[in-house]
Amino acid sequence: MTGEPDIRITTTVNDVTVEAQVEGRTLLSDFLRHDVGLTGTHVACEHGVCGACTVLVDDQPVRSCLMLAAQVDGCRVDTVESLGTQDDLSPLQSAMWAEHGLQCGFCTPGILMTVEGGRRAGLDVRQVVEDALPGHLCRCTGYQNIRNAIESYFAQGVQA
Amino acid sequence: MRTDTDRPGLVGSSVKRVNDPRLLVGRGRFIDDISMPGMAHATIVRSTIPSGTVTSFDVADCEALLVLGVDEIAAATRPIPCVWIAPGQEQVEVPVASRQVRYVGQPIGIVVAPSRAEAEDAVECLAIDLAAEDGVADSLQALEPGAPLVYPERGSNIGVEFPIGDPSELVEEAMASAAVVVSRRLRIPRIVPSPLETRGVIADWNPGLEQLTVWMSTQTPHHVRDHIAHSLRLRADQVRVVAGDVGGGFGSKEHLYADELLVCLAAMRLGRPVKWIEDRVEHFTATFHGRDAYHDARLAMTEDGTFLAIHTSITGNLGAHFSNVGTGPFRVSAVMLPGPYRLPVAGASIRAVFTNTTPTGAYRGFGMQEAAWVRERLVDEAARELGMSAIELRRKNMYRSDELPLVTPTFQEYDSGDYGRALDLVDARVRAYAPAPPASARIRQGIAVATHVEFTGLGPSKAQDIVGFRLGGYETAVVRMEPDGSVFVSSGVMGMGQGIETTLAQLAADRLGVPLERVRVQLGDTGVAPYSAAGSIASRSMTVGGGAVVRASTALREKILRIAGAKLEVSPSDLELVEGQIHVKGDPRTGTSLEELVTRAWLGLDLPEGESPDLECKYVHEPLNISYPYATHAAAVSVDLDTGQVAVDAYWVAHDSGVVVNPMIVDGQIMGGVAQGLGIALFEKMLYADDGQPLSTTFMDYLIPLSSDVPTMVMDHYETPAPHIPGGMKGVGEGGTIVAPAAIGNAIAAALPEIAEQILETPLSPGRLWTLIHKAGLHDG
Ligand code: FES
Ligand code: FES
Repeated sequence: MTGEPDIRITTTVNDVTVEAQVEGRTLLSDFLRHDVGLTGTHVACEHGVCGACTVLVDDQPVRSCLMLAAQVDGCRVDTVESLGTQDDLSPLQSAMWAEHGLQCGFCTPGILMTVEGGRRAGLDVRQVVEDALPGHLCRCTGYQNIRNAIESYFAQGVQA
Repeated sequence: MRTDTDRPGLVGSSVKRVNDPRLLVGRGRFIDDISMPGMAHATIVRSTIPSGTVTSFDVADCEALLVLGVDEIAAATRPIPCVWIAPGQEQVEVPVASRQVRYVGQPIGIVVAPSRAEAEDAVECLAIDLAAEDGVADSLQALEPGAPLVYPERGSNIGVEFPIGDPSELVEEAMASAAVVVSRRLRIPRIVPSPLETRGVIADWNPGLEQLTVWMSTQTPHHVRDHIAHSLRLRADQVRVVAGDVGGGFGSKEHLYADELLVCLAAMRLGRPVKWIEDRVEHFTATFHGRDAYHDARLAMTEDGTFLAIHTSITGNLGAHFSNVGTGPFRVSAVMLPGPYRLPVAGASIRAVFTNTTPTGAYRGFGMQEAAWVRERLVDEAARELGMSAIELRRKNMYRSDELPLVTPTFQEYDSGDYGRALDLVDARVRAYAPAPPASARIRQGIAVATHVEFTGLGPSKAQDIVGFRLGGYETAVVRMEPDGSVFVSSGVMGMGQGIETTLAQLAADRLGVPLERVRVQLGDTGVAPYSAAGSIASRSMTVGGGAVVRASTALREKILRIAGAKLEVSPSDLELVEGQIHVKGDPRTGTSLEELVTRAWLGLDLPEGESPDLECKYVHEPLNISYPYATHAAAVSVDLDTGQVAVDAYWVAHDSGVVVNPMIVDGQIMGGVAQGLGIALFEKMLYADDGQPLSTTFMDYLIPLSSDVPTMVMDHYETPAPHIPGGMKGVGEGGTIVAPAAIGNAIAAALPEIAEQILETPLSPGRLWTLIHKAGLHDG
């Protein structure tokens, strides 16, 4: 085991180029949260089950606790911070707000990125709700309002 | 949601939650999001054996900023007090560290390094010797002769025993006189609370001010502050606890753990901030669990199904020591056992047992889920034995609204409501349900109900004292109108996802006639918030904390109207405060702007004789009674005979939680609560090997419900205001979890009458059901 940050990576995080030296063992989730300072990506299990840490790597939803920072060298990474701002929520974020799709909000960033990734990959609403959403754990909401939010988001015809 | 009392104004309105935009864009401030200059990282060293002794703790080869072992920790700390003490309970405090280990996960040291990875590396270099002894995990096994003793000096594993309710002679007399007694052993297994955010803490000692600041993911900042000060031998004013966003609690973050004290101690020793974030494996072993009880229960009735008596003998698993709440959940199971039914005789006996497992404490539903499982399964079994409809049997025995208020044989002063109406509403929904026929003859369908009355809003302080719960039951609110007319609300309750910041703001804005955006609710910082002994537990934030905000806001409104009345030379009672304007009722042309009045008041101007210039009111709300919401739930399930797999096809809730401040949030609390109850019914069980070695330590072996498991629910609400709570609210945080396992269990029993009498234990996992189905011969032919 080494503690030396001896791997050099260049990656694009939320459209900003980031150059960094990382340890081989550094997880992508820890890199984003603690090195880049983007704490919107949450870590709830660190064993790949809960989905809270989901980000997009080259538009694909991945669990950033199961990926090493060194693996995103040359890749594009999008986190929840890329979606909208407090004053200008993205349509999906607005739908989640309107439908009460979050309670503690800890699972929420991962779910937003999975839905966003699904949209970019051209999935339809049924695929997102029935196949992608069950890849996430939410302990608070019972999911019903998350499903409603996703349906309302897709109903707005935002695929463009 | 449908409510039958639509009010104008903010109370009763589904306004969107004030915190959400921040959380949605990734700007939450959860404990692990906080970073400080010079911050070091801790790893807790834990016992890997269920029972034994730490014989050596050698730090020689360990490269770290600081290592503290059991002896040093024990010397530097005072034991953590238990807060809920049962009659006869000898263990009333728990050492922070001890060489004697009694469960896997028990903290025995702490290692601090510049990074978390380095701290974890350093732990590997410690030389720790543990001398293992035999352990025991199951409470009944722990009572067998020759079982390993968790505290050998006690001579038995019984921690404490006591009765509740009617005396046993009366119970036995009633049982003997009954035509029918349904008697079963039921079991509620151990549940891991599993908020998505684990526990975590950052401690920082300021040597100049001699002050410790502790950022923590907690439901109870003041309570935690008091215990930190006690254990570290500091004055209370030397400790400030700050809770930011909390990623779910569900009871698991309602007290101080030894882990958190170790981090405080390390920060004081090092003179720099130290962070510790629990990992998920630790959550499975080091965070207190919920439930774990056997009930030998009996329900007695006449031939026509009139209930005569209910009794349960509870064998409750304490784990390795009394948690802060100790026997509290078992006691609450006992006192809430009668539920909504007219039960002339009711009682319980409680036997709390030590085992080599993680201590059991609070988890959403706190004893009431167990009570509902026991009672509602017995009622459905009784209906089957009597050949009656389970709904009719319930209707016949439920208290009518004109019988309330009343005191139950287990000393609960049920306040208000119409229990039968919830049953009727759900019954109507179920009758209208037309399920698609099963896809194959090997799929069975069943529908059933369960019902309950719930104890929410702890609680009059005196009542808490009577049951040995040593935390005050009041809440305080401070409501201030600032010089610019905006409103600041401070309360000792805590937000953890339940939306209390929004609903408290609604109460204040509604009383003060200002828009919601003008109200800021500040929670979670003991340096700012008024003292709260009990914090956000027991579905009390809205009833007790909200009641305080109602009263403080009303007092502030009255003060503002008195000042306006003097200025306008009219009686304050003729004035109204609407949308930032104060005018004579019904005459919007008269009057004054609120903002102008407020600005001048803070300048000390335009004040009537004797009125102080501060526009700040404080109210200490000591509730007069517990509040008792209630509900009926129904579930429709399909069971696959060949796999034992259960699908919940439909779910209905009819609920009365008093005045609803935000229907959207109340719905959300019930949906989330039912989902947790569904997890209990079908999936969740913390497994131990017989000796106490934990077997469920990840989300791969402990399953919590997924979206695909949880159906869309249909809800009916109506409102019977709590007569003794300002604002009329009753608690709503736990009801969903309390009843859902029983509703689902009853539905499975209805689908499988051949094995109904054996549906006694959750989770009703495919393995358990398949085995029962197989033994019943349903796989033959
Ligand atoms: S934290 Fe990555 S999947 Fe749970
Ligand atoms: S909102 Fe709390 S875990 Fe999903």
